[in-house]
Amino acid sequence: MESLNCKLLEVCSRCGACYHICPSCLNLDEGYDPRAVIKDILAGQYETWLSHKSIWQCLECHHCLEICFQHYGFENAMAAMRTLASKKGLATTQVKRGWDMFIKTSRLGELAAPARKKLGLPEAAKSGAEDFKKMVKVYQESKQSECKSVRVKQGD
Amino acid sequence: MKNFTVFWGCTIQNRFPFLEKSTRMVLDGFDLPYRDVDGFTCCPEKSLVNNIDHGLWVLTAARNIAVLDKSGVDLVSPCTGCVSNLATVNGELHVNHREKDKVNSILNQIGLEFKGKNKLRHLVPFFHDEVGIPAVKNKIVKPFHGMRIALHYGCHMIRPSHALKNDDPLDPKKFDNLIRAMGAESIQYMTKLMCCGQGLDRVDQHENALHFARLKLKELKSLKVDAMALCCPSCYLQFDNNQFLMEKEGEKFGIPILYFTELLGLAMGYKPEDLGLDSHRIEATEFLEKWERMNRELSRTTELNKQLEEGFGIAQL
Repeated sequence: MESLNCKLLEVCSRCGACYHICPSCLNLDEGYDPRAVIKDILAGQYETWLSHKSIWQCLECHHCLEICFQHYGFENAMAAMRTLASKKGLATTQVKRGWDMFIKTSRLGELAAPARKKLGLPEAAKSGAEDFKKMVKVYQESKQSECKSVRVKQGD
Repeated sequence: MKNFTVFWGCTIQNRFPFLEKSTRMVLDGFDLPYRDVDGFTCCPEKSLVNNIDHGLWVLTAARNIAVLDKSGVDLVSPCTGCVSNLATVNGELHVNHREKDKVNSILNQIGLEFKGKNKLRHLVPFFHDEVGIPAVKNKIVKPFHGMRIALHYGCHMIRPSHALKNDDPLDPKKFDNLIRAMGAESIQYMTKLMCCGQGLDRVDQHENALHFARLKLKELKSLKVDAMALCCPSCYLQFDNNQFLMEKEGEKFGIPILYFTELLGLAMGYKPEDLGLDSHRIEATEFLEKWERMNRELSRTTELNKQLEEGFGIAQL
């Protein structure tokens, strides 16, 4: 997740124009109130939201982004909460399952080979799974070395 | 027209290969210059990967675009999510050179480089802008005259607009124009641009996902539409599969869900079973029967009008 912009979030906490277009704000009976989350983020008291189902109810439809005069939208705040929740092992079961499959296979599901044959489809193009694995390894190494250099700078 | 590849994405190839079939049939029918390219992975899915690791989300999308750069062709996808994710990262790396350099320092180690030189487009705006409405009309042999079709755009066909730049994000027109070019009436309705809600199924909130599906299907049932048309595998899953689950529990809507390529294929004269319509969970039988009836009526009226124009009635007096 990219860093949050507190100045923009502060305006979000007082605006709410997107409540009139956000499908979850308009339709979820149990109440979905992103400004409550944003206010808690600004007050540094977001911890309780990490295990709350609200943060997974942003559909990432980008309606808020399109209507927002700051071109920001509260989807950024909800995505940040989901990233933190995932780091603490609080992601939903299906998200964890999907992530595991993505990291292991580079895809979210195997090819439906028998159905392809029945439909007379040509052989599917080769996946980039091997290259992907190499790339993830390089990425993880670069992240570790970045962390080390930060610790060195801090004299840790 | 520049050569292009089709980015199928995980969901179509995993769950709905018949959508790949109808897409290939339509592309072949228009004799369009496409070819398969090796080396793609998941786009990757934003709500899953970006939530957990933004860096890996950017990197994986950049790798797919770098594979495209290497092949030198454009990209077209029948999945809205795939195009939206790829276009968002493409846009982000074009304006953020520091991030682009960081991404390329990793991609270089696996023999790739992100340039982002090729076009990334969804199939619907591609047909509208590149193939063109006149060419689509020319291919129609069995139009949908008299058929009432409700479009569901799917959020990521049009948003985020700064990355996709293919239609008005709050008042899109291109899909409507294509449906009208096939002769159908595009029904306007209140929840037309509302998100399908399928994302809630992916975060263990099945009842909420059904609630969203129900909202749109209820409205369409009250408007007596003949079908819903869309071009996103995730939205298709929501309205075909979840509608089927609700029907099993006694909640009947009876709205067949047709993919853009299936509708176009039917109008081009392909058989429903060859296009894979028999793989749908919600049957399209009534839709197809009405369509046959409307076409029979249309040909009878055309014949009558021809006779009237020829002055047949006066000659008999």
